[in-house]
Parts: sequence; structure tokens; C-alpha cells
Amino acid sequence: MDSKRAMVLRMEGTNNEEEAFLSLKRSGFDPDYVHINELVKRQKFIDDYNLIFIPGGFSAGDYIRAGAIFAARLRPFLNDIRSFIDSGRFIIGVCNGFQVLTELGLFFDGERKIALTVNESNRFECRYTYIKLSTKKVFYDLGNEPMQVPVAHLEGRVFGDENTIKKLIENDQILFKYVDNNGKYAGYPWNPNGSIMNIAGITNDAGNVIGMMPHPERVYYQFQMSGIERKLKNGTGERFFNLLYKYTK
Amino acid sequence: MDIINCSDNDLDSIGNSLSLSHDEMLLIRNYFIKLNRNPTDIELQAIAQTWSEHSCYKSSKFYLKKYLSNLRNERTILAMEDDAGVVKFDDEHVYVIKMESHNHPSAVEPYGGAATGVGGIIRDILCMGAQPIALIDSLYLGDPENKSGFLSERFIINGVIAGIRDYGNRLGIPNVSGSLYFHRNYNTSPLVNAGCIGIAKKDKIVRSRVQKAGDILILYGGRTGRDGIHGVNFASKILDLNNNENRNAVQLGNPIVEEPLIHATLELNDMNLITGMKDLGGGGLSSAVTEMLSAANLGGTINLDYVLLKDENMLPWEIWISESQERMLISCDEKNLTKIKEVFDKWNIEFSVIGRAEHKKNLEIYYKNEKIFDITLEFLTTTPVYQRPYKKPKKNCDSEPFNDNDIAKSIISVISSLNVCSRAPLVRQYDHTVRGATIVRPLTGLPNMETHSDASIIKPLEDSFAGIAVTSGSKPLLCSIDPYCGTMESLIEAYKNIIVTGSEPDAIVDSLNFGNPENEETMYSFVETLKAIRDFTERFNMQLVSGNVSFYNKNVNDIMPTPNIMMTGIIDDIRNAITTEFKNENSLIYLIGSINGSLAGTVYSDIKNIKCYKYKKSNLNELFDVYEIIKNNRERILSAHDVSDGGLISTLIEMSIGNNIGFNVNLNEIKMGLENKLFSEHGTAIVIEVPAEFEDIFNKKGIKLGYTCKNINVNDGNRNIFSSSIDDISNIWNSGLSKYL
Repeated sequence: MDSKRAMVLRMEGTNNEEEAFLSLKRSGFDPDYVHINELVKRQKFIDDYNLIFIPGGFSAGDYIRAGAIFAARLRPFLNDIRSFIDSGRFIIGVCNGFQVLTELGLFFDGERKIALTVNESNRFECRYTYIKLSTKKVFYDLGNEPMQVPVAHLEGRVFGDENTIKKLIENDQILFKYVDNNGKYAGYPWNPNGSIMNIAGITNDAGNVIGMMPHPERVYYQFQMSGIERKLKNGTGERFFNLLYKYTK
Repeated sequence: MDIINCSDNDLDSIGNSLSLSHDEMLLIRNYFIKLNRNPTDIELQAIAQTWSEHSCYKSSKFYLKKYLSNLRNERTILAMEDDAGVVKFDDEHVYVIKMESHNHPSAVEPYGGAATGVGGIIRDILCMGAQPIALIDSLYLGDPENKSGFLSERFIINGVIAGIRDYGNRLGIPNVSGSLYFHRNYNTSPLVNAGCIGIAKKDKIVRSRVQKAGDILILYGGRTGRDGIHGVNFASKILDLNNNENRNAVQLGNPIVEEPLIHATLELNDMNLITGMKDLGGGGLSSAVTEMLSAANLGGTINLDYVLLKDENMLPWEIWISESQERMLISCDEKNLTKIKEVFDKWNIEFSVIGRAEHKKNLEIYYKNEKIFDITLEFLTTTPVYQRPYKKPKKNCDSEPFNDNDIAKSIISVISSLNVCSRAPLVRQYDHTVRGATIVRPLTGLPNMETHSDASIIKPLEDSFAGIAVTSGSKPLLCSIDPYCGTMESLIEAYKNIIVTGSEPDAIVDSLNFGNPENEETMYSFVETLKAIRDFTERFNMQLVSGNVSFYNKNVNDIMPTPNIMMTGIIDDIRNAITTEFKNENSLIYLIGSINGSLAGTVYSDIKNIKCYKYKKSNLNELFDVYEIIKNNRERILSAHDVSDGGLISTLIEMSIGNNIGFNVNLNEIKMGLENKLFSEHGTAIVIEVPAEFEDIFNKKGIKLGYTCKNINVNDGNRNIFSSSIDDISNIWNSGLSKYL
């Protein structure tokens, strides 16, 4: 059993699953679409996978807090998810997936301490920006260069009280920060949502629960990038998913 | 209702309530006299729905057949037949395209109208068995300062955009291309043209018809409710905005019902369980069942008791014509029902078997053990056809001489005008990168400093570098001066948009928006439009594969003739796509093809209020030359952009914005008046950037305008016309829309 199985978890309104599936596959994973109903009916099991990827979208329409309903439907499986995390395997949520993980409180041992709230611009923001690695817990091979990534969300502004943010910094839980094309911290539109400290993604203390708003799965290849980055050897996604594969046990 | 014995006056008032004419009511009366009974409510409603302008194209069918029949080529698989056009993509795949207007609903309820327009067009693609991969929308909206309408223009504009955004984003289909056009002529009467592209294996295409007698009909997805009653009827007449019933005619959209619907439908299709399929749009069940059966020359029996309802108190005729959203109808072999149920269960989708196709002439409908409908499909589908008279309008007022003594100021006005300025405030609200297959986005260049693309490019397949380019738009101002030439220029612009990306023009879809067809001058512009589409399609050996006609778009006057042209192209390798932003300093800038020179129907003459109606036809042979030049030199071209809205000066400025590279040009070699060369939007011209080493090659192909550099500088002979930093002009260009969106 050499293959690394990746679960691409979905429910109605999940809609970024295809590019997630393909990106995982391109980097060597053996991906599998799993509908939440298949977990409920016990046709598929969390423990059978080496990695869980919760893609973006508008699960259940996000008519109430984004990700809240998906999280509620996952809650019966919380024990399975906890043992999955405790075993050191990666669970990664992008965009709506990040919102789901936040709702489940998986970044703070079950406590829902941060929120992903409505963008400061008060509108859906679909644009390209740049991120830079911040933590030393994971993805250290990415280096310190700014990487081009697309964002597309209405609720992506990381928000938490002073203590929570302090703890995030102390624990080195900030995964990515938004920067401009020169790698400098800058305001809107480079930080597209007004996140505190330009936070684009975070991890749990152990570094294996990963949540981020930007979409590396949309820019796997350089020809999916914008501007001069189209001439690079590979896209941000390829670097990201190859590392994810490397780190996955 | 007694229509057999009632007076002619009563007959007409019944007809009026159903948007049917006196002659049409007489046909119905005669049919039922032969049956020796009166129609039931549901029969009368079904006839009114089937015979509505929206459903049967009675005013346009004659001319559509005359001019637009058989515009196919060797790549055409289905044209003008089913719910969408089908075109060859590669040896194993086809792509499916369609564009449709949703104008009347958007005028009454902008958010819901536009949202359901998106939902409907996606189902049109889906029901062919294709995975939707891209949305396109062209919007024609009123003057945002207008507050005198039933709804304020600002409310309509923001409602329409929000409706498209919220529906498309929730479904995860990228909104990649389109156009946005403002003019007071569209006050209170917005045009919302929504298009969609899908991809499918060629053997997975599903026809919009039942395959064989005995097949069962399954209705699935959203439940049937009272929303969208009489939608087709109200779209078939001039809107009375004070009529409250209109609001009930607008459907309610729920994208989160549609999203799993797409997955489940494609899964069923992959398993070969579907024999025929149609989405439920205008006319609801009435339209879908009737068309699916009659296209197969079959009759059938339907039992309305099995239709799942939002409201149990609905009357049978309401059930039959309700246009509730997110519903699909499939025919399938009864023996597969268990497998079908499993798929629906996985996706939590409700469904019911509502009837069966049979070898007979009639459609019969039962409700609560009573037969309430029994007429032949032949009568129902032999819809009226009108050869509406038309006449050429009296000549436009004469052109008047004008004098522009501040060209630099005019350039700023054009660049900041609503129809030229940056579309970013709109485009960034639409998710245009979801699915990760948008290779050339509607915005291109350095992130957060992008400029406009001409056509967007989608890469539909994981294992192929081939792509589909798509563009959409129209030139209504020129169409209102000369409908033939305006349509032709719209087609030329679409063609240029495709070729400047390095793609091969492939297929055309028309969405024809016009005023009242009973107005002879409007009908003239309609017929002239069709002639232009035919002439262009034949001249370039292209294909016209689908389209729609929307009449009765009117406020005080009929709207400008607005033939919206959606065009696709194929690029063999998306890695070679050309984008619009300048790539390097010290490259050479060439004008290829020629600027028409006419200022008729341009942004410039509109905002300067210049009376200018003179127009000379552009040379189509020259357009073909431009195509050949790009095709043969694709790897030598660094960037390319067509000359269109706002003229040559806007083209150059847009090319400089996306990558912060300016230009120094001299327009001396373009032989026409300065205003004409700067602002004429018509003709075959494009601007390209090439490395200096290819000077000899391109000197033979076009006019060398100058070179790329740090700032912007425009000369005409010895005279300096305009200078600016890129930052300054970019700020002006970027700020035009943000005031309103």
C-alpha cells in the first residue's frame, strides 16, 4: 500500500472539488471524492485515507455563516477526525474548507476562537494576490519568496480577539500572510479581505491542520498564473501540492 | 370557460388575458368545436404557453428560417435544433454553447431575474449531457443616474449584477467573459443575456427528446410551486410595470438545489441511464413534456398527482405551466429506475415518475382520477407563424460638422466613460477562476493592476492543451443607425477578439434583443440583422449553432436593436495564447488592418453629442488578411488588442495599463482626420507589439506606430496630442465604474 489516498470531501454547494482532485492527483496522491452522505451511510471511512482535503465552494449556500452547516454535518464524525489528526495526518481546508475547519474549532483543540468574517470591502473578491510563508512548523521548503495565488471569497477576513491572535503568533500558527508582488506587507487589495496581520492561512499547534483562503489548486501550472509569472517553470500549486505529498505519511 | 359559444368580444378578452390574438383564439375555438366541447383551464393555458412569442417564435420564425437556416460547417454537430448548439472540440469531445436573454424578469425583479437567467442557461447546457465550464454574460443597462423609472436604474444595475454573481459563484461555474454597456436607451428595460459553455464526450450528448414509446418521464430537482406562473406570456408583450402580477411571473432561484442537480445529472448520463432530457425553463412542464414528446413523434400520459409541489393547493394548470427553477425532466427505461434512485439519493435530490411516452397522437393528463387534458400534440405544436411586415425607417438626421478643440480632454472623457473604463469592479465580483481552467482571464497582467482581455480562454480537458476562446458583445448605437452594418461590426469585433488571442474563430451564437415586432421599423432592423449574421457566417465559413430572440423590449420607445454576438474560437495550445498587455519596453507597435474612420455610433460621438451618421462598410477581405497575419506570426507577437470601444487611443492605453509599460506613437501614417483615427471604433484594425528584431517582417504588414517605453506619448506628425504617466491614466480608467457598483 504505497499509494497515498486523499479524500476530497464534498456536500451540496462544494464546488472547487475538481481542481482540488486534479491537483492532488498531479502531485501523486490517489484522490477520491467522498460525499458527506457516504460517510453517514458508512460506505466510506475517514480512517482509510492519508489526507483529507475540504475544497472551497458555498456549502449549503453559505446563507448563514460560511461553512457552518458543513461543520454541523461533520460534527458526528469529530472523534474520527480527532484521531485522524492525532495520528499526524494532514487535514486541509481551502476557502470554504477553511471556514469549515474554523467552525469545527480544529485550530485550537476544539475551541472556535477565530472567525472568518465578511471582507472589509463588503463584497466578493476574486483576484490574484501574493502570499508568503510565515510559520516554521510546516511547508518550510517553500522558502520566503512571495507566491502568486488567486483568492475568491466573500468571507475570508480572519478575526479573533487580542489573546487569540497573540497565541497564534506565540505558537507560530500563522501559515501564510498576504504580501504585495514585492513581498512587502501591504493593505488592500493585496490583503483582499482585511485580515488581521495579513493572515491568509493558519495551522493548529501540531502543524497538520491547515486552513487557508487562497487557492493553490487553481494555479497548479504556470499558465494558470497571471502576468510575468506565466513564464515561471511551475505554478504555485505544483510547489504546494508536491510538498503536501512529500509531508504526507 | 365557454369559448365555443361566447361572443367575439368575450373571446377577445379571454385571448387578451392569455396574450393570444383574435385569430389565434378563433383557431382554438374551431378546434374545440370539432371536439364538441370547451377546453379545460389547463388545456387553454397550455395552448397559450405553447403559442406564446417566447415559446414558439411566431414573429421571428419565418425570417429565422429564411436567413439563418443551415449555417453549418464540418465542425457542426447540432445547430439550432435542441436546447443548445453542439460543436466538435477534438476527436473525442464536443463543446456545447447557448446564450439566452432574461430581459423581462430582470426588469421587474432584477436580482431574481438575472439569477434565474444564469440558472436556466446552465441547465440548457446540462440537459445536453455536458459539464458546464464557463458562464458569459452581456448586460445592457440604463443610465445609472436615472431615477425616474419604476425601479431606479442603480437598483436594477446592482440587482442584476448581484443576481448573476450570487448564482454563478454558488454553483462554481466561472464567469469568464461578456460585456457591460450603459445607455439611457435601456432605462427601465435592461437586457440580461446569459451564456454558458459545456464540455462532453461526443457519445454522451443527450437529445431533447424521448427515445422510444414506453420510456418513463422523471421530474427531479426543485419542487414545483407558484413562482414563475405566466413567465412566457409576460415576456411576450410589452411590460406593464404597474401590474403586480408580473412579479409572480419571475421565478425564484436556489443555486444550492441546482449544484447537486448538475452532479447527479452528469452521473446518470455517465451511467447511460438517460434516453432524453430537457430542462424546465419558460413554460415549465407544459413546454418540456410537449417538446420532448412531439420531437419524438410520440404522445403520452401524465399524472399531475405525482408532481412534487411546494404548495399542495396549486391548481392543475398552475402545476403544468409553473416555471419553478432547478427542475429537470428525463426520459428513461423503466428497468433502470432503481439505479437512478440510488444516484438521486446520494445527492439528496427529490424526484418522481410523472408519466410515460406512448404510441399515440394525444397528450393526456390526469389529476385526482379525472382526465383534464386530451388534445393532439399536432394541434398544440402547430404554432402560428407571422410574416410580420417591415419597412425601412426614414433616413437619420443629417450629420453635422463639429470641431474638437481639446483633444486631450476628449481622450480623458472617453477613457473614463462608462462604456470604456475598467470592468474590474464588476469582474472581480464574479468568480472567474473557479475550476482552475481559466487560462486567459477577463482581466490580464500584473495582479491588481490588470487590464481588459479581448476574449477569455478556457482549458476544458485535463489531458489536452487545447482551449476554447470566448467573447460576447454588441454595438447597439451603430445598429440603431444601420442595423445591417452595426451587426456586421459587432461580428467583426467578436472575430477580432478571438483572433488576437491566437485562436481560430469557430462558432457564433446570437442573442437578438429587439423592441415590438409589430412595429415595422423594428422588424426591419431585425431582418437586416439576420442578413448580416448570415452574410458574415457564410463569408468566414463559420457556424451559427444556437441563439434566441427576445422581442417587446421597450420603455418609452423600442430599445436600440441589440444583436448580442457570442463567438467562440479554438486554440490548439493555450500556452501560446496572446494577451493584451504590453510585455516589454522598446518593442515595436504596429497597426494591422485598417481603422474604419467612421464616428457613427461611437462612444466619442455619444458623449460629445456629435451628430455623425456617416458610415462606410468595412472590408471583410482585409479582416481575413489580419487573421492570416496573426496566424502566421503568432510566436512573434508579444501582445495584441483590437481597436473597438473608445477607438485606437483606448486600445493603446489599455495595453499599457496591464503591465505598466507606456508607448510613444505617431499617428501620422494613418490617413484620416485626427478625431477619426483616435476614436473610430469600427473596422478591421488591431494593435500588436512585436520585438524590434522583426521590424522588417512587420513593416510589410501594417503601419508602424511607434515603440513601447515608460510613459505615454501620442503625436500626430509634429503635433503632440497627449502625454500622461501610466499611473494617472490608469487611475482615471479604473475609477469610472466604482461610483456606481
